[in-house]
Amino acid sequence: MDFKNYYKILGVEPSTSEDEIRRAYRKLARKYHPDVSKEEDAEIKMRDLNEAYDVLRDKEKRAAYDQLATGVSGDGSFQPPPGWDSGFEFRHDSANADEAQFSEFFSSLFGGQARRRHTHDPYRARGEDHHAIIEVDLEDAIHGASRDISLRGMQLDAQGKPALHSRTLSVRIPAGVKEGQYIRLNGQGMPGYGGAESGDLYLEVRFKPHPRYRVEGRDLYLNLPVTPWEAALGASIHVPTFAGSLEVSIPVGSQNGCKLRLKGKGIPGNPAGDLYLVLDLRLPIANTEAAKQAYRKLAQDLPFNPRDWS
Amino acid sequence: MKQTLIRTDVTVIGEVQALDTAELARACGAQVECVEQLVACGVIGTDDSKSTEPCFYSVDLSRALDARRLERDFGVGLEAAALILDLSQEVRRFKKLLHNLGHDLQRDK
Repeated sequence: MDFKNYYKILGVEPSTSEDEIRRAYRKLARKYHPDVSKEEDAEIKMRDLNEAYDVLRDKEKRAAYDQLATGVSGDGSFQPPPGWDSGFEFRHDSANADEAQFSEFFSSLFGGQARRRHTHDPYRARGEDHHAIIEVDLEDAIHGASRDISLRGMQLDAQGKPALHSRTLSVRIPAGVKEGQYIRLNGQGMPGYGGAESGDLYLEVRFKPHPRYRVEGRDLYLNLPVTPWEAALGASIHVPTFAGSLEVSIPVGSQNGCKLRLKGKGIPGNPAGDLYLVLDLRLPIANTEAAKQAYRKLAQDLPFNPRDWS
Repeated sequence: MKQTLIRTDVTVIGEVQALDTAELARACGAQVECVEQLVACGVIGTDDSKSTEPCFYSVDLSRALDARRLERDFGVGLEAAALILDLSQEVRRFKKLLHNLGHDLQRDK
């Protein structure tokens, strides 16, 4: 595990004031926010910024981090020494949805502090809910699937010492899940205090890009290449779908960009989404004398002006 | 590093299984009063048509988390957060539309 220089990530010096750190974060967040940034690795940069700011904006975390950083040479692997955080009280921010995506470095230092801090407290309290992202294939959302996700954090071992703990959750992705929906895993959040129940883990569903389909809600869109004569004269063609190969009728006189709706053939649900076939007219290339002759004959037999702007 | 494999059942937060006010508050690491403020400021909406209890869906959870982050990291008020989230949603929608039309924003920079 490498030591992460949070000051460097925010482009500030260790002596920088709280206000300046806030200003530096806000400036960089505007630059790298995935909604506005044109940088290719904006999402990763934003995550690093959030992680750095999460530590440096908190007085206690920053003080503990600074103390730890004084003994770091900057090369080789890093392990926090035992008791590195003694004397500090961290506030664990459960509203931080990005935290599960933060680095191993962050998890090993700050990931389990709430549990550690309250281990000997006398009161009972439910564990905090946690958040993470799960990326699934479109096929998984349609047919349902089982996926393993790995999460890591600090937990106390049998001797009461903090140790990095990795757990793999085998998660059933239900058929019909939509992009942006949350899947709740009961009891898989932070452990409860004083014997109280654990919090829940919320997984935000994201779809991996599909080479053929695009998704809007539960509706699917597929570009369907057709010939000019299939569009003009109508045709019956086979289309591969998630429900198998379907025979589809192209109506007579179809135009490029026409949408054909296959009701209920999108992502399942109540109601199920539809599959839209977007007609994509493809012209044969006139790269032979025979093809050129055929086009000339078509032009002669079928006068047509597509630019009738009168 | 110690490793554990856990098999677990899941619930999809959606049309069938919604969150109540207390559940949404817990999921955001907030108090119930905070959720009520988010509703009052228009950050999230409640669907009162089917039930006397407020119901919240995945989109509400996402917006509530984003609004709290904007409030914490940028010091914006909740009304401004609601506007930022609406604009952000529009940006994402237009970017997707452009992508579907074949435009690559990376090439245009």
